[in-house]
Amino acid sequence: MRGLVTILLAVLTGVFCTVVSFLPPIGSQDSAPNTHITPVYISQSEKDTGSPNVVTGTLADYRGFDTMWETSVMFLSGLTVVLILNKSTVGRRPEKEDDYE
Amino acid sequence: MMKDPFGGIILNIAFRVLVPFSIVYAVYVLIFGEISPGGGFQAGVALSVGVVFSRLILGEDAPFNISGASALILAGIGTFIFVFTGWISVLTGGHFLDYGKLPLRMEHVNEIHAMGILSIEVGVTLCVMATVITILDAIVKRSDDNGSA
Amino acid sequence: MQIYTIEAILLLFLIFITICIIYSRDILSSVVVYCGFSLCAVLLYLMMGAPDVAFTEAVIGTVTTIFYIVALRKIDRWCK
Repeated sequence: MRGLVTILLAVLTGVFCTVVSFLPPIGSQDSAPNTHITPVYISQSEKDTGSPNVVTGTLADYRGFDTMWETSVMFLSGLTVVLILNKSTVGRRPEKEDDYE
Repeated sequence: MMKDPFGGIILNIAFRVLVPFSIVYAVYVLIFGEISPGGGFQAGVALSVGVVFSRLILGEDAPFNISGASALILAGIGTFIFVFTGWISVLTGGHFLDYGKLPLRMEHVNEIHAMGILSIEVGVTLCVMATVITILDAIVKRSDDNGSA
Repeated sequence: MQIYTIEAILLLFLIFITICIIYSRDILSSVVVYCGFSLCAVLLYLMMGAPDVAFTEAVIGTVTTIFYIVALRKIDRWCK
């Protein structure tokens, strides 16, 4: 089993290394994201959103709905940690008989 | 949160120097997030680092003593600020999160957009700061109750 | 595909740090080496021209190190 997993990982690594060489180079003008919507955002961002930083303009204005649910997920994660880690004995199997009060 | 101070004298003095710088830098990142790298998320985590440091060196006597329940309420308030900013623009006749329709008196639409972005960044900052404090508080409080510390 | 020398060094160092984290016997040293992993990731993001992501990674690395060390102190497992 362990040998099979090793062979599988080696094959996968080889496939990935082969595929990476077909990617367009970093910062190429002809790559797919650089020809479709990115020039519009870069040229229109300051005029549309009033923020000189393109990243902030995109995150908070063009993609405001995404950021809203991201914040909600953050709040839910904090809530879940508190619900899991708090020291309540409701619904927990007692270790001794004295735990029921 | 933690009943006793954390480290020895070296850690205490080093953290004592770091706390005001961390908090001032977090507010700088929040306000100037529109024109420089940064934003609500980074500002929130830097603020929480300041609060956690002051809690680690002073124990329960820390000046920013936000405990678990109030931190969770603060996170809810932050999320509410974000969503409420979106609903204000709906009430004044725009789309959801359409900052151009916020009821502010300014000359250009750009400035209203900037104010809307700043208000939602404040919401994100409050939510992230309170969430980090809540998680650390839950970890520490659970083990304090077990009596191992 | 052009790649800079220092970028290649940082990427190889990232893999080396990951192997060190996995095979370390001491949990505390794993946590400290993980802080170095975060530093290398920050440098890589800066070289790729994403200062926002680098800033986030630096702050998150600090907070996760604090979390891990507080948790380690609380469970009384400073070393093996």
